[in-house]
Amino acid sequence: MTTDATPTAPAALPAATAAGNMKPPTRLSIAGRELGRAAIAVIIAMIATLLIVFFVSKSPVDALMTLLTAPFSRVRTFGLWVDDVAKLTMTGLAFSLVFQARQFALGVQGQLYVGALAATYVALSPIGQTWAGLPLGVLAAMIAGGIYGFLPGIAKARLGANEIVSTLMLNYIAIELCNFLVRVSLVPPGSGLLTTDKFPKTSLYPVLVANTRIDLGLIFAILCVLGTWFALYRTSWGLKLRLVGHNARFAEYAGIKANAIMVSAMTVAGALGGLLGSMFVQGQAFGQLTVLFEGGFAFEGILIAIVARNRPLAVPVVAMFYAYLRQGAQLMNIRTDVPAEVISVVAALIILLVASQFGLPAWLKRNVLGTRRGATR
Amino acid sequence: MNEFLLTVFSAAFLATVIRTSTPLLLATLGGLISDLSGALNVALDGIMLIGCLTAVIVSHYAPWYVGVLAGIGAGAAVGLVMAFFHLRMKADIIIVGFAIGALATGGTVFALSLATGGDKGTSINLPSGAVPAVDLSFLGAIPGIGPALVAIFSGHSLLSWVAAFLVFAIWYFLYRTPWGLWLRAVGEYPAAPEAAGIPVNAVRFWSLIVSGALAGLGGAQLAMFNFIGFTANMTAGRGFIALGAVLLGARHPVGVMFAALLFGAFDGLTNVLPGHYPWIPPELIRMIPFAVTILALLLFSYRAQRALALRGVKA
Amino acid sequence: MAFIEARGIGRVYPGGVVANDGVDLSVEKGEVHAVVGENGAGKSTLMKILFGIERPDAGTLSLDGRQVHFDGPRDAIDAGIGMVFQHFSLVPSFSVYENVALGSEPRKGIRFDREAAIARVRGLSEQFRLNVDPMPPVRTLPVGQQQRVEILKALYRNARVLILDEPTAVLAPQEVAELFVAIRSLIEQGCTVIFIAHKLPEVLEISDTITVMRQGRTVGTVKAKDVTEHELATMMVGREVALRVDRAPRAAGAEVCTVSNLRLVNARGADVCRDLSLGVRAGEILGLVGVEGNGQAEVMEAIAGLRHVADGRIVVADQDIVPLSVLRRRGIGIASIPEDRIAEGLATGASVAENIVATRLKDRRYVRNGLLDLKAIKANAVRLIEQFSIRVNGPAVPVGTLSGGNMQKVVVARELSEQPKLLLVSQPTRGVDLGATQFIWKTIAAARDAGAAVLLSSADLGELLALSDRLLVFYRGRIVAAFHNREGLSPETLGTYMLGLSEQSPEELRAGL
Repeated sequence: MTTDATPTAPAALPAATAAGNMKPPTRLSIAGRELGRAAIAVIIAMIATLLIVFFVSKSPVDALMTLLTAPFSRVRTFGLWVDDVAKLTMTGLAFSLVFQARQFALGVQGQLYVGALAATYVALSPIGQTWAGLPLGVLAAMIAGGIYGFLPGIAKARLGANEIVSTLMLNYIAIELCNFLVRVSLVPPGSGLLTTDKFPKTSLYPVLVANTRIDLGLIFAILCVLGTWFALYRTSWGLKLRLVGHNARFAEYAGIKANAIMVSAMTVAGALGGLLGSMFVQGQAFGQLTVLFEGGFAFEGILIAIVARNRPLAVPVVAMFYAYLRQGAQLMNIRTDVPAEVISVVAALIILLVASQFGLPAWLKRNVLGTRRGATR
Repeated sequence: MNEFLLTVFSAAFLATVIRTSTPLLLATLGGLISDLSGALNVALDGIMLIGCLTAVIVSHYAPWYVGVLAGIGAGAAVGLVMAFFHLRMKADIIIVGFAIGALATGGTVFALSLATGGDKGTSINLPSGAVPAVDLSFLGAIPGIGPALVAIFSGHSLLSWVAAFLVFAIWYFLYRTPWGLWLRAVGEYPAAPEAAGIPVNAVRFWSLIVSGALAGLGGAQLAMFNFIGFTANMTAGRGFIALGAVLLGARHPVGVMFAALLFGAFDGLTNVLPGHYPWIPPELIRMIPFAVTILALLLFSYRAQRALALRGVKA
Repeated sequence: MAFIEARGIGRVYPGGVVANDGVDLSVEKGEVHAVVGENGAGKSTLMKILFGIERPDAGTLSLDGRQVHFDGPRDAIDAGIGMVFQHFSLVPSFSVYENVALGSEPRKGIRFDREAAIARVRGLSEQFRLNVDPMPPVRTLPVGQQQRVEILKALYRNARVLILDEPTAVLAPQEVAELFVAIRSLIEQGCTVIFIAHKLPEVLEISDTITVMRQGRTVGTVKAKDVTEHELATMMVGREVALRVDRAPRAAGAEVCTVSNLRLVNARGADVCRDLSLGVRAGEILGLVGVEGNGQAEVMEAIAGLRHVADGRIVVADQDIVPLSVLRRRGIGIASIPEDRIAEGLATGASVAENIVATRLKDRRYVRNGLLDLKAIKANAVRLIEQFSIRVNGPAVPVGTLSGGNMQKVVVARELSEQPKLLLVSQPTRGVDLGATQFIWKTIAAARDAGAAVLLSSADLGELLALSDRLLVFYRGRIVAAFHNREGLSPETLGTYMLGLSEQSPEELRAGL
């Protein structure tokens, strides 16, 4: 129903009043609805966790207490949490960026491995022993990751090659490449391990808080959040990227080169993924490259991005919450009889519920969100 | 080199190809059904994994065929969950697929750990059943070609025969029955079947369930024939390769069968190459199926693009 | 009691939009019953209720004296009702008979009995003189044939009542005449036809009875022979309307856009047009006339930069724009209001301000050194919201939350916020109510009076005749006639050229060009 009310069309006015009880929504009411939905998803997922733990554990109360309180119980575990937040933020940002351009590129895992490889080559070379080891390692990782993001992008732009399939395949290739290079060229001869030597100190991220894993990576993560936000919402590149994501046909009509924007988004996201690779191997947690070091971590970024609705400023907030759960689950795994993988069930539920378009229950709208606006929706 | 070629063109290698192709083909058929109904099923890999674990655990306690049926049932159930979230809760199908993937990767390890009492790697202390091979050695009695027939046709998994039959059955279903017409119409232009009073959402619902069931069956074959037992993440991307095979097979049952055989052949190479060329690094051999998938994807896309470009359409 | 009786039908959409409010409709057996009203008057909702797509919140429906409840289109189809939508529901790659049989296939065991379906479709086509071949894929058929495939679909399902939703919107006058022949043949064979429309002359020609709707209510039901076009129009809008734009005759200026020897091809590689030349001057509106699919839309797209030019030149403001990007073309002063304004002209998830600035991302007022000047962008949006009276809660609200009419205004506001040199307009008032039509017409005329060269393409001949200074008729990718828009130029004259029944001599053409 159209509700035009132009000066030249007074006849349309009564129609407008007929629909007048539907006020146009404001930005605030839209944000409130999204927040409410995320909150419900988390609550349902937590209830599901509760049920699962009660079902599988002999001492469910201990297990739950560990899950919910352990991460902040010691300085060391607090440090683990911060480190996890920083890394989850990076993968979440990388996914948010491509998702905003409406590309389902899943290449962060592969970018992470090639980034880590590039950083390792720098760190273990003579340069690695000088002050330049740290910045050049980071730079090399970002370039490698960027290239690894660019390839599926250009394949899609030029040939229309489905980015889901190509990025997933590139992930597997990167993992095998890492296995291969570590074995034949990075591990000291004679060592049976699949782990490189420790990097020289000059190539490692400096520690920010003594005796924890909190290092320069945290600063990088914060800078990347601010940088991504700025790029998306304050530059014309970001506006173009978001317009392409909303409606690529419109973008072409408006004179935006949708393909170029898409490729650049995938390349920049690739550089973020590469930086994350450097954060792993040059950070305090590892300080060396081990095969299969990532263990599917990169894909956690999908959850972060989806729950954060691809908003860069929301990414670290979601990452904090999710890292807490992950750390809690790890500690629960060590200290009680509940496997840490329970977290994947929670994660899947949260993704499903956040992506769902369910209406909020009436009581919640009335009591929590709605108050005065409640009547308008 | 000659020796290698002899191996590749031997009946034994053909048997290997059929063995490696079968789980892939089943998953690809699942991908085909959902793709034709208009939903890209990125959860195939996860559903296969769930099918693997279910088949293994159930066949520990019950006969092998119950294990296989349980694999199918688990796949169908996951398909049902996807359908619920996609169709009832209006969630994006790709995001639902991711979620199922996450659930499968961690959830199977979680369930394995519970079932084995703490082992998160393999189901080695949970002896499970196997799908029997179909013995056709009686064909050897045929004079002349008998031994060749035996070498080619005997000793395959029962499920390989099922998969071959399913290619035909799905083709017949899609192109010869009214319901196949419905399914293709729903995938191509849903407004038309909607207007014709066809229950569009029911068609989509069933497509996802069948898609899941086929991937689950693929998982059962993988864990009860190709390997015996469950290993964490044992699908190793087969479900994603299946997505590529659907595209490469031009979304037609016979086409996807050849695509699956092609990928299966390269997978089979990874088994025979180390014996002949020990100097080739195993990591690079393991890359082959993924690299081939990318090449196939690029080639397919390039040809599709060129077909359009030849007709003068602006890219 | 009438054959079809709807009493007190009410329907409120979630969100509170009242689409139907106590609507009454009674249709006699064997008549052509037109339902007319502006867009948003509730015609479509009423028809969707009759066809079981929507369920009414209030009121009763009876068919042939018995009360009926439809839980879906299937129920309506079983009750003998068929509907032909404005947007056809045909699967492009399926053949005609597959499309017709879809959902009610004849079976042999579990098989789809193709032979039986083909025979049945051929039989129906002959019986009702629809002249449709069952074999080719529907995507290869012209629009008029596709529409008859839709009618076949309903007849195949034994429809006794046929609902046609704005069937003439996409047809040339002669094709309309053919459709009317088919409708009369349907009536002769005992069918009842409900005809939704807003082109009043056609309504008066074909229908026996007319029900007028306005703002979700029935205003009244009249016999076609007892009413004039003017009276109907007044009933529809509830006030006197004069759909007219003052076209002050004025001397057109220099040629702004010259297209010469243009060749375009379609996705299947066939020529859309070949060796096509035209020119449009500053301060004139050039109307492109033609049945859809004869090349007008493609020529507009080529000028806008959205379609590859196979051969030829397009000169705007003294430079060949063929190699230029869309952005550069916009920089020269080309603006375009696309036909599908919401799908092509807007990013519904982005804010109003972002949609308005989207075409000016090289403009130093809004973007400097790659950085957005949010203040200027917002101020510009606020100004245009005011100027075009767009009903919205501020420039930061996503466009998708606006009503359809207001979304359209965002597009018009963006394209006309700065006086363009060349304005491309496709189907400016399709799906727009009378009030908004008047507003849009005035806006286009104002752009012309301010010196813009305007290219207008429309399926509505009335619109073209009301606005254009000159008219070019397209047939199969060629210009077959050119006219100065003077008194006495009738839709029928244009129609004979639109259907390729006649063609002007080169001399006549040159005079019009």
